[in-house]
Formats: sequence, C-alpha cells, structure tokens
Amino acid sequence: MAEANVAAPFEVFRFDPAHESAPRYQRYHLDLPPHTPLLTALLQIRAEQDPTLTMRYSCRSAICGSCAMVVNSKSRLACQTPIGPELERHGRIVVEPMRNMPVLRDLVVEMTPFWSRYKKVEPHLITDPTQPMPEGRENPMTPAQVERFKETPRCIACAACYSACPAVEADAQFPGPMALAKLYRFVVDPRDTAHQERLLRIQTDGLWLCLRCHLCTEACPKDVEPSLRIRDLKEMAVRAQGATDNGSRHAIAFKDNIRERGILNEMKLVRQTYSPGQLLAQVPQGLKIVRKKPEVLKSPHRIEGHDEVEKLYEILDDATEDPP
Amino acid sequence: MQRHDVLVVGAGLAGQRAALAAVEAGLDVGVVSKLHPLRSHSGAAQGGINAAVGKEDSVDTHIYDTVKGSDYLGDQDAIEFFCREAGPTVVEMEHFGTIFSRAEDGSLARRPFGGQGFPRTIYAADRTGLALLQALYEHLGTAGFTLYEEWDLTSVVVRDGRTQGIVAFDRRHGDFAAIGAKAVVIATGPAGRVYGRTTNAHSCTGDGIAAAYRAGAALKDMEFVQFHPTALLGSSILITEGARGEGGILKNAKGERFMSRYAPHVLDLASRDVVSRAIWTEVKEGRGFPGPYVHLELMHLGRERIESRLQEICDFCRTFAGVDPVTQPIPVMPAQHYMMGGISTTVRGETTVPGLFAAGEAACVSIHGANRLGGNSLLETLVFGKQAGLAAAAYCAKAPEATVGDTELETETERLRAMGERKDGESPETLRTEMQAAMDGLVGIYRDPRELDQALAAVRRLHGRYDRVRVVDQSKVYNINLTDAVETGHMLDLAEVIVAGAIARTESRGAHTRVDFPKRDDMNWMRHTMAHRGPDGPRLSYAPVGYTRWEPKERVY
Repeated sequence: MAEANVAAPFEVFRFDPAHESAPRYQRYHLDLPPHTPLLTALLQIRAEQDPTLTMRYSCRSAICGSCAMVVNSKSRLACQTPIGPELERHGRIVVEPMRNMPVLRDLVVEMTPFWSRYKKVEPHLITDPTQPMPEGRENPMTPAQVERFKETPRCIACAACYSACPAVEADAQFPGPMALAKLYRFVVDPRDTAHQERLLRIQTDGLWLCLRCHLCTEACPKDVEPSLRIRDLKEMAVRAQGATDNGSRHAIAFKDNIRERGILNEMKLVRQTYSPGQLLAQVPQGLKIVRKKPEVLKSPHRIEGHDEVEKLYEILDDATEDPP
Repeated sequence: MQRHDVLVVGAGLAGQRAALAAVEAGLDVGVVSKLHPLRSHSGAAQGGINAAVGKEDSVDTHIYDTVKGSDYLGDQDAIEFFCREAGPTVVEMEHFGTIFSRAEDGSLARRPFGGQGFPRTIYAADRTGLALLQALYEHLGTAGFTLYEEWDLTSVVVRDGRTQGIVAFDRRHGDFAAIGAKAVVIATGPAGRVYGRTTNAHSCTGDGIAAAYRAGAALKDMEFVQFHPTALLGSSILITEGARGEGGILKNAKGERFMSRYAPHVLDLASRDVVSRAIWTEVKEGRGFPGPYVHLELMHLGRERIESRLQEICDFCRTFAGVDPVTQPIPVMPAQHYMMGGISTTVRGETTVPGLFAAGEAACVSIHGANRLGGNSLLETLVFGKQAGLAAAAYCAKAPEATVGDTELETETERLRAMGERKDGESPETLRTEMQAAMDGLVGIYRDPRELDQALAAVRRLHGRYDRVRVVDQSKVYNINLTDAVETGHMLDLAEVIVAGAIARTESRGAHTRVDFPKRDDMNWMRHTMAHRGPDGPRLSYAPVGYTRWEPKERVY
C-alpha cells in the first residue's frame, strides 16, 4: 500500500463577504500519497496550517453529501476525489465553492436556493386517502418494480449536479437535476397516487428547460444519472398527456419536421411550438431575423436521399420501448 | 427569545422520529441540528433493520438473540418491548415511502446478520440508513415544525430541578441564542470520534450526551464500545456486516478461514465482539498481513450479486482502497463503530432529569447491553425516537412554561467568547488528536488495567489543557474552529467516563474485555454502570439489570 508522496500545490478560494470586498486564492503546499482524498488534504491544511479555512464535511465516505465543491472546475465530493489524478492532469489543485449558490464563506455556500427548488416538486409520497395502505403489513413491490427507480435512491442531495447545471444558472424556474431525479423517483413509485398530476404540473413547471447537456450526470458522485431520468420524465409526460408546454411541443414538432423533408423547416417549427399569442409577441424578433436572413421564409426542398431518413425514423419507431 | 413546547436536538432518524411524534401530538416543535437532516450519520448505516416478520421467525427468537448478544446486560423487559415494536415500525417506514429491497413475491427481502438465529435483517441494498432517512425526512417535511439548521448545541439548561431549554449558536451567522422548551429530546448520536480509528462521521462528537451529563443526567454503561470487525484499512470506512451476511468470509495471511477456531457453528457471522477479538488475536499472534490487517473475501459470490447487493461497498473499496471486491480481497481491521452506552433512559426516553429525554445512539435504555447486534440500531432509533417524542409531548401537558433566559445565554457566550480572545493557547485539533491516540492505543478491544490508568491520566491532563483552548478564527460566519473547540470539550468529558467505567468493571462482558479478568462475573457485575458528573470527574454507581425470563448462560456461537 505504501506509495511515494507527491508535492501537492493547492489554490483554495477564500472569501468572507462580511469582511472582504473580493475573493482571493490562497496557496498551500503539502506532500501526500497520491491516493489521499482531497477532504483529508483540506483537513490536514486546517489542522497544521490554517484553522480559519472553512468548509462543510462529515462522513468522509461519500454518503452524507456535505463536502461537494468545485475541484479543478468540476463539481464533486472532496472526500471522493483522490489528489493524484488531479495533479497529473492539472499540475495543481484549485478548490472553489459550488456554483449557482451564493458564497457564505470560503468553500461554504448558502444552500437555501437548492432546497427551495427541490421542495417545489413535492418530494414526498402522495397517497389517496380513499385507497388506504395495507393494514399492518407492507405494500407489495416486486424486484422489477424496485428496478424502475433506477439509481435515484442513491441520491445524497450533495448538490454537485445543481452546481454543474447551466439551466439552473439561466432560469430560476428550472427545478434542477436533483429535484427532477427526485420527482422521477415518485413518478415510478407504485405507492404514489399522483403520477399524472405530477407529470402534468412539471411540464409547465420547468421540465423542458433542461438543456440535455448531461453535465449533471457527469458530476453526480452516486451515478444517479439525473439527465437520463429527466429524459424519462419527458417521455412519460408526453406519452401520457401529449404536449402541453412549449418545450414538449417543440420537441415533437422538431421530430416530425425533420421527418417530412430531412431538413428543418424553421417557420413551421416556430408555428408548431408557439401559441398564436406567443407568436404575436415574437413578431419584432422575427422581423429582425427575416431582414438578416430572408431565406428562412422559403420552405426547404426535400433533401436528396430522404428515403434513408424515413428508414431511420421507422427503425426508431420500432425500437422505442415503452417508457419506464 | 425563541420558545417551543418540545425541542429536539439532532435530526437523524431518532430525532426526526421524536419530532414527528411530538408534532402529531399537536405541539409546537423545534428541531436543532448541526447538520442538514439528510446529512445525519443515520444515513451511513448500511446493512439493515431487524424485524421478525417472516413466517418461520418469531419475536421471541429476536428477543432471545438480542438478550444473548447483549451478554445478559440488556434489560430484558426493554428488549421485549423493543422487539415487539419491530414489525410495526418497519411497516410504518415502508408506508412512509422507504424503498426496501424486495423478495420475488413482493415482500420485504431479508438477509442473515451476525449473532441471530434467523435471516431477519430487512434492507435496502447496502444503504438502509439512507433509504430510511430519506423517507422519514420526506414524510416529516409535510408536518409543521421549526428547523434550526446548522446550529451547534453548547449546553442544556436545567433550573429549578427541571429542563428549561438549551443554549446554541447559529453556525451560519454566528449568533448565540437561548431557546426555551418545556421538554428537550437529545438525539445527537454517538461520540465515536473520541477514537481516531472509527467508522463514525467526523460530526459524531457526542454533543448532546456531554450536555446532558453536564446538566446532571446520568450516563449508563459508557465503557461498552463496539468495535466493528470489518472497517476498511486506513480510512476505517465501514464495510457492512451484510457483506458477511451475503456470504463473505474472513481469511488470515496463511489463507485460513480463522473464524472456525473462534465460532465453529456460525463462523463469520458470530457476534461483532467475538469476530473483532478473533481478528485482533490473529494479528497479534502473527497471522495477519503486515499493516496489520486481514482479508474479507467476496470474490466467490460473483460479480452480479456483489454489485447489486453491495453496490456502495464496491464503490467504497474501489474509491478509497483501490481494491475491486469482485476480483480482490478487501483489507480490513476492526474499528470503533458503536457506543452501547449513553444517556440513561427508560423505555419512554426519560432521563434522570425531569423534562430531559433522549433516544437513539445518544441514549442507553439499555437494549444492547454489552454488545449490540447488527440491524438493531436503526430499529432502536425509530422505536425509541417515537417513544421519546410521545413522552416529551405527554410531559409538556403538565409542565410550566420554560424560563431559560439571559443569564444562561450570557454565561455560555462568555465561556465561548473567551476561547476566541486568548492570544495563545491550545489548539482544539491538537487536543483532539492526542485524546484519539490515547483512546486508540489504550482503550481498545483488549483492555489492560495499566493502560487504562495511563489513558485516564492522559485524558485528565488534556482536560487541564482544555481550559486554555484557543479559537484562532475570528469570523462569525461558519466558524468551525469554534465548533471544533466545543466538540473537543464534549468529547473529553465522555472519554473520561468511558475510561473510568472500564477501569472499575473488573470482568469481561460483551465488548468490554479485560486481560486481567477474562471471564464474565454475573455475581458482581451483572449490573449497569451509572455515571454522574462530580467535581473531580465521574462519580460511578450501579443499577440492576431488568430481568424477565432468560437465565444468563455462556455465550457460544
């Protein structure tokens, strides 16, 4: 197990908004074995060099979700990040607080925004009082039904996904990857009786604001794969209720649009996505586009080899499974 | 000043369950926790929760196994109550939304656990604590209560012979406050960080236990410290007993399945104290790997089973030890894991101080006696959390308004402010590290009286030095240097009680093994240690063990 120590230069974000006007990066140096978790290194800095460096931490085994931070630009758990690979890749370790939340001090962020967006998806079992649970015994649930939760029960609410998410940054209405993964968990729960209401509501409450960049799935330390569960929610919502929101209308129109001619008919896409009222509001923007790029008004010709496109769509239609 | 009927300190499973019971009784409830509830250490529990719900199993067998596991120090009346509550408790948690692992027929899946005659440990893969914590948090979220999130407890206020509330500080903003309450429920978990080699989270510093002790409550059986047989080498991260429940086996450096010498009938699934002593003996007699450590082998179970039932364990081993349990043995050693002792309570969570209640690992009823069985602690948090919440609510009905106020707040604020005003002094980190070294080295699995004396002297010296503890950080916002200082003070008190109890108990029982008294001594020692705080440290007395129908016998596994 013995490994040679490596020189580890750290640059740690320091900021006390009450006393300082701007953040700074403080350098620390340690010699450590490369498998050392970043959390251990930070605790050693606190113990030996600087007890004023502050952060959240508790279990040191990737189960409490306290120590999420940004390490060399990636949102991750400090306890689960060995320093060796970071040093190999970046030559140093830059440690910053999570993004998309205000900094309270140093590596500690104010997490209230994260929790309040999470609470919006009604993260608790909703049951119908007219269908009481079995008296004195558990609800039956088969292993196959448990499988449908996928990896969502592993979520430790560390907020690494929330920190990594550009849609969270862009739009206050987007509940965030963790909240949507949690919503998925209730929508596939056979004990929950509000699946339809949940799906209907989330269509207009931010489901379609996801940019499908998958940065949440990359950031998640527990392989919850929030972006894939968001995809599942979209499929379930559209199958159950059709398109009830600009986002879902856009997705469906896009699919049908390409199928028709093999190339995007932009004018048609706009008409299929927005309601007449919304279209009216877009007129000034539309005029600007037309002035710059008049060819958008022409509907495109069917592309050469369009039959190949049609074949692809047929394969996709056949291959599409029932939603989970 | 803030004021509530019931104030629960700690928001893990026991605290949340107590809060739920008090809210359902229609009371104004406050919950104070130094961690967001979902970050509580309950979430780290892996293996499962016991309930004799199978057709072939019986509550009586669960009671018997628990009594035997406790090495006859558990109160049999309390254990009977506890085991009868198991089934309804698990069902309730399932109804709250817990996602348990299931059998093919749709019922709750069960796995075998150490020291038990039947597979009765209900589980959610190897993250049962997390599954329960999520469900209870989600359920409690629909109830109305005030959450003091990331507040550190500094003291419990007792005046006029009863509890009046607490003093605490808001870690995020630095404000100190006295919070009044007719009843206070302590559910702050264990003090595992008294040891350096522990499976416990950094936050397990026994704040509520120490505050209750300082407020005059008796602590019970603190010398009984459980060492989990299989903690990951180096980091001491827990490798669940479920790994052996699923068929994992322990081997020494000679490749021998050594448990056959120590527990010929149940082998690797003997009680935890037995397995930990066995590993220790193997290593001491030269049959361990240099490190030292032994191997826990899962490879023969096959990839599919390992990765589905022990998913978190796979991740832990790969991330924290660079070992893949599918193809390689896991290097393990025993580490401090659980405190059987705690604030002495009745089955209703009542302590020796009126208006002060306790539940979960911070409390000692006692159902675990000298050694806890795996799968009984998650159950304990829920069963006795509920009881404490109900009892606190009932107590409120006849208690006068609390009168905690400026005096207590000023005294506490002054004491803590002084730590920050010293120009030089002791670092809390140094004191903590030295305490942990003494406890690891001198108060471990096998206890030698000379070493225990050395440990007591060391802890008392540290106590003296703690009077000059210094907080360097001057910020009001998220000053965890101050938190460190407060926690270290709490742990020094508790370390002293653990060692004093271990010195006094001249027998070997359960997890307490004295090299000079290797046998259990029922004549003199089938009784609980009670520790009250005196002017010169703990004052020990003894209380009888609750007995119903199980005659003490020699424990053989």
